[in-house]
Amino acid sequence: MAKDTYLKKVLGEERFNHIKASKVLMVGAGGIGCELIKNLMLTGFGEIHIVDLDTITLSNLNRQFLFRQKDINKSKAMILVKAVEKFNYFDCKLIPHHGNIMNTELFPISWWSSFDYIYNALDNVEARTYVNSIALFLKKPLMESGTTGFQGQVLPIYPYQSECFDCIPKDTPTTYPVCTIRSTPSKPVHCITWAKEFLFMQLFDEVQILSPEKLAEQRKILESETTDKKEIDNLMNETNELNDLRKLTSSTIEEFMDNLVNKIFVKDIEKLIRIDSLWKYRKQPVPLDYATYNSELSSMVKSTSSDVLHNETKVWSILENLYVLYQASKSLIDRIQSGEKFISFDKDDDDTLNFVVSASNLRSSIFGIDVMSKFDIKQIAGNIIPAIATTNAIISGFSDLQSLNYFKSYELSNQDANTVFVSMKPNRFVARATLASPNPQCASCSLSSRGIMSLSSLDGTLQELIDNIKEFYKYEDISLILGKNKLIYDFDFEDNVDRSLNSLGFKSGETLLVQDDNDELENLELYIIIGEEFKLPELTLRAKKVFKEETDAEDDEPIEEGVVDDIIEVEPPIKKQKV
Amino acid sequence: MSLAKTRLQEERKLWRKDHPFGFFAKPEKSADGSLDLTNWRAGIPGRKDTIWEEGIYPITINFPNDYPSKPPKVKFPENFYHPNVYPSGTVCLSILNEEQDWRPAITIKDIVLGVQELLSDPNPDSPAQEPAWKAFAKDKELYTRKVKEQAKRYQNYNA
Ligand SMILES: [Zn+2]
Repeated sequence: MAKDTYLKKVLGEERFNHIKASKVLMVGAGGIGCELIKNLMLTGFGEIHIVDLDTITLSNLNRQFLFRQKDINKSKAMILVKAVEKFNYFDCKLIPHHGNIMNTELFPISWWSSFDYIYNALDNVEARTYVNSIALFLKKPLMESGTTGFQGQVLPIYPYQSECFDCIPKDTPTTYPVCTIRSTPSKPVHCITWAKEFLFMQLFDEVQILSPEKLAEQRKILESETTDKKEIDNLMNETNELNDLRKLTSSTIEEFMDNLVNKIFVKDIEKLIRIDSLWKYRKQPVPLDYATYNSELSSMVKSTSSDVLHNETKVWSILENLYVLYQASKSLIDRIQSGEKFISFDKDDDDTLNFVVSASNLRSSIFGIDVMSKFDIKQIAGNIIPAIATTNAIISGFSDLQSLNYFKSYELSNQDANTVFVSMKPNRFVARATLASPNPQCASCSLSSRGIMSLSSLDGTLQELIDNIKEFYKYEDISLILGKNKLIYDFDFEDNVDRSLNSLGFKSGETLLVQDDNDELENLELYIIIGEEFKLPELTLRAKKVFKEETDAEDDEPIEEGVVDDIIEVEPPIKKQKV
Repeated sequence: MSLAKTRLQEERKLWRKDHPFGFFAKPEKSADGSLDLTNWRAGIPGRKDTIWEEGIYPITINFPNDYPSKPPKVKFPENFYHPNVYPSGTVCLSILNEEQDWRPAITIKDIVLGVQELLSDPNPDSPAQEPAWKAFAKDKELYTRKVKEQAKRYQNYNA
């Protein structure tokens, strides 16, 4: 019996042949890519190109199962292809590319247009947005996929027919002002950030000695935020003083601990209190009364039977936190003294985690902020949403399966495919939803059309191009934006009309955004290529949509229950929505 | 980015159609002769019948990539004399703060009017620099003199 007998039965003869004749692209050879590639090969695709710019690192090996220790530092795309050759039963042509998918010289639009289907297996928003824009330019079907811990989603994108990647508002991570972290924390995460990124770093990690220029730069940053000079001076001083403290890592633990606690949790807090402007509208912190804990702490240290360290879900008392701080510091300075030059925070290095947990809890209690368990702090400090191989495998399976609809009819309007969500909710491990229509306010697909513009030369003037575009699309007057933010022409900016396209920065792979100055026609985004003759894409532009009142889409977005705080997302799911 | 540039060109058009008297606002010109839509310069006239009235005060407005989900940064020149302006020139205004009153629907016109209001009507609870804040709180005479001196320096600022 031929190897593909069952495959033919499952897919149906016609679709099997379609798939065999198809050339597809997989962008990303990481967590999802390693799983997806085998699915695609075993589905019978005739040719698969794989693009990734990364090389393999040790931390990839726990979930990117096609890679081995000996592959470290080698190209992901190359190694992936080698690894799967062993089970290439259907003679799929596999072509790896080591490079950045956004590079328009390596991957020009002509290369993109040779594919029948694009599978994203990416981990960052920038590349996803880029591939989405290419899919829109070429009207290619795209399968988007992403996982965050136990959650994952696949989203088939049929350009202009269903929601595109940009239709869905993204959360961006919150960053905290230095002053909040250093002087006026009000949430546990502020104290955790302080303990991990300031205190721990200064004491144990590799820190550069700051040059006067660097110091001046730091002062500038502080000045852009803070309320007064006193606070800035105080913050600048603190860094110097910690450097002194760092020297104590070569002394005894008792000396280190006493100095550390007295400085960080007593003296520094007293100094902060003296800057009255800070406390006009805030609750003043209360310095730690170290003396009252001293004797209890030393007897706790002497008795060897304490199990505090092992109780990760309990919220520790102040005394217990001091004890953990003592033990963690002891291990850390032991390690420094036995030759480790510096120690970096690592959530899986218990000494470093214990230090950060206890230090941030002590600071929280001083500022009247909730104290948390080690378990909870670990989630925040470690930015942990683990990448889980099983979720990646399941999502890759759905990515492949949901794409099969397309190969039945080859029609973009065929929206039989579903978006599929995977999560750990009881009775709802897998949920699906029919594809939504494009978000009417999406600037990428609803408010604009896209196409390829071929220029025969870059010597022509901007005026000639403007005339051509206006005539071809029946625009009355337009504005032109080249690339990300260069406005080159509009109603009262005609300085450039006699310049050559070349001198204005037109080149292959660049994009030109055309907007109707009279608000009658929609926007037009043109991808520039240099070709034999001048050619504008045949498009019928839709009427421009006008929104009276802009709604605050982000606030109205229903958020899935149990979604974690945005600060700890490392690979945000591509969509958060109730099904 | 698609959204940011579309919106910024829209703002430019809106401004042409309707902007408050005495104000100007426009994108900065780059070395290559294009206009940088993410980087605007504006002039804010002081309100009539206030100690600010004689000046037109320069600000820069910087738009991030994820505008309008995130607000722009507005800056006066360094060491600008005002209780709510940081020594670096950064303005402390709730409509420009993501965690406070920023909404994507806020326009450039709203921003410049907000800044104009802040000039003559400082927020005493949000000190951003010592000299102007202290004078404003404790020595009105000194404050008035300093503001008027500054107004003179910015008398001829224009597009
Ligand atoms: Zn869209």
